[in-house]
Amino acid sequence: MKSTKTLGLLAALMMSGASLANAQTALEGGQEADMVLLPKFLGILVFDQANEGAQEAHAELGNPGELLFVGPTPENSVAGQIEIMTTAATQGQGAVMLSNNAGDQIAPSAVAAQEAGTRVVTWDSPIPGGEGEDVFVAQVDFGSIGTVMADMAHSILGGEGQMAVLSATPDAANQNAWIASMQEALKGDKYANIELVDIVYGDDQAEVSYNRALSLVDQYPDLGVIMSPTTVGIQASAKAMQDEGLCDQVKVSGLGLPSEMVSYTMNGCAPEFALWDFRDLGYLTYYTAYGLATGQLTGDIGESFSAGRMGDFAIEEDPGRPGSKRILMGPFTVYTSENVEAAAQ
Amino acid sequence: MNILSRLKSWEGFLATALIVIIVANTMLSPQFLTFSNQINLFQLSIEKIIVALVMTLIIINGEIDLSVGSMMGLAACSFGFLFANGVPAGLACMIVMVIGVIGGALNGYFIARVGLPSLVVTLATLIGFRGLARVLVEDRGITDFPDWFDALGQQGLIGQLPLSIILFFLLFGLFYVVLQRSGFGRKTYLIGNNRDVADFAGIDTARHKMVLFVASGAISALAGLLFAARVGAVRGDVASGFELDIITMVLLGGVSIFGGSGSLWGTLLAVLIVLNLRNGMALLNITGHIQTGVIGVLLIASVIAPRINLGGLLAAVTRSEGKGT
Repeated sequence: MKSTKTLGLLAALMMSGASLANAQTALEGGQEADMVLLPKFLGILVFDQANEGAQEAHAELGNPGELLFVGPTPENSVAGQIEIMTTAATQGQGAVMLSNNAGDQIAPSAVAAQEAGTRVVTWDSPIPGGEGEDVFVAQVDFGSIGTVMADMAHSILGGEGQMAVLSATPDAANQNAWIASMQEALKGDKYANIELVDIVYGDDQAEVSYNRALSLVDQYPDLGVIMSPTTVGIQASAKAMQDEGLCDQVKVSGLGLPSEMVSYTMNGCAPEFALWDFRDLGYLTYYTAYGLATGQLTGDIGESFSAGRMGDFAIEEDPGRPGSKRILMGPFTVYTSENVEAAAQ
Repeated sequence: MNILSRLKSWEGFLATALIVIIVANTMLSPQFLTFSNQINLFQLSIEKIIVALVMTLIIINGEIDLSVGSMMGLAACSFGFLFANGVPAGLACMIVMVIGVIGGALNGYFIARVGLPSLVVTLATLIGFRGLARVLVEDRGITDFPDWFDALGQQGLIGQLPLSIILFFLLFGLFYVVLQRSGFGRKTYLIGNNRDVADFAGIDTARHKMVLFVASGAISALAGLLFAARVGAVRGDVASGFELDIITMVLLGGVSIFGGSGSLWGTLLAVLIVLNLRNGMALLNITGHIQTGVIGVLLIASVIAPRINLGGLLAAVTRSEGKGT
């Protein structure tokens, strides 16, 4: 008992030195902190997966406190998130882990929660202005997605061929940023023989996307791959190619959910696609929030810590939101027939 | 009036339910009775309950206003738009109130003068006001309002009591006098019961309805401003869907959807029930779906209860008890 205490003291001393030397903080489990995982709303698979990841970390760290998974209903998302944030502060929760759907409207209640001693860690979707937020756990670097998609096209096409993009809506800011970053990546020498022939929009509706995918094939007889950076579009395209028996000719790739894509990956219609793992995101978010809630992390830029099975992470300035802090989870997980079945469980 | 006959009225039933809920909350959650939680309990729904006051008069009058949530959104977004374009916040607030009056008058004109059903007119303005709000701010959030504006929504004005809660009780007093203690109030009930009779009695029913819808527009605009101040930011979807919560509270309060009956006390009790129930469930970490379900069951009960003659049932129970002894 005494030796553990000494060890702890030693660790604490090392930690204070560590923040200067920028070394890793090993998070110590067993300390009590009540935690709240607050998704955008309930009933979405990826949020349930994030909860599984958080539960895994919760058990791993042996936190005697409680981990709650509470969220609003979809039609009451904004007001509901504000209400849950406020209630968490009243209850004196250790940390709230928020996938923000309320924009800056959540900021006053998040600030109030911080003032009441509750740490606020965002994941998946941050507080735009960064106010009321200790740190944002970013799933991927949004700028790197272009390279990932270009690489998948390169690998599917064997370095040469035609590609078309099937996006969500023409005015979706994230989609446009991702497509732009892919076009930027395609300028590289490696992709010189890959031609981007068209960009079409399926409005994130399954039926529209399905029809757009088929008309792409009609329009471009030499098309080799349809790249769809949306989970709705990629699934609809893969189904269209499968239904029409076109999978030998045109492959589908992009951003998709393993559980929705597993059959298309196994039958070769969509041999490769990417996404971040929401279980990992929940797991890393929990480690971060736990470190902050137990006072083992301060949340300052430059601080780094190890998050269980996922390895080491550092707190840095968020390049997309000056003045705010992020932890970058990345990179993407690329799913193939090798790993898609396990991820789809 | 003895306790039993008081219980027989819907208000009596609501008051009993409220006491049960408050006692249960107090026993189940140590934080419930803290002053800051009681403030939060009101603050989290304050805009809705302010609009519920004027909605009570509208429904008693035999009409409905579905556009209140969209008007709150339009008000908040207009404020954001004006502010972002360099209009001082104080002036922007005044312009927004004028927008509320104009929006309410628009509803009133088509309902009272043209004679269209309020359900249809306000459904149209629900869509129209919301569309306008979204056009004004597009797909972005507007934030960084002046400190005094945010402070009015987020901090105490008198002690820890914020402006919006003070306004709610002031407006309750005002509407109570208007509805239950004035000629205007008696006319509101009369028109709601039978507009033709009211017309024959020489009441200018069109003007009466016009006044009510203008009041509804103005109060909704005020509520939209309070919302913007409380959350410190606006977006196109501000207050969307609020109209249903507001109407739910009024109907739960015993106001007849067909008009002509109900009271402001009933609305106040229903508001307190919904707020305390939601807060209690939130403190017990009950998730959104179940909260919505419980409120839904309450509303169904409030519609059915008057039909199964609660008073008669209670009387029958007492009679049989009387025989037993």
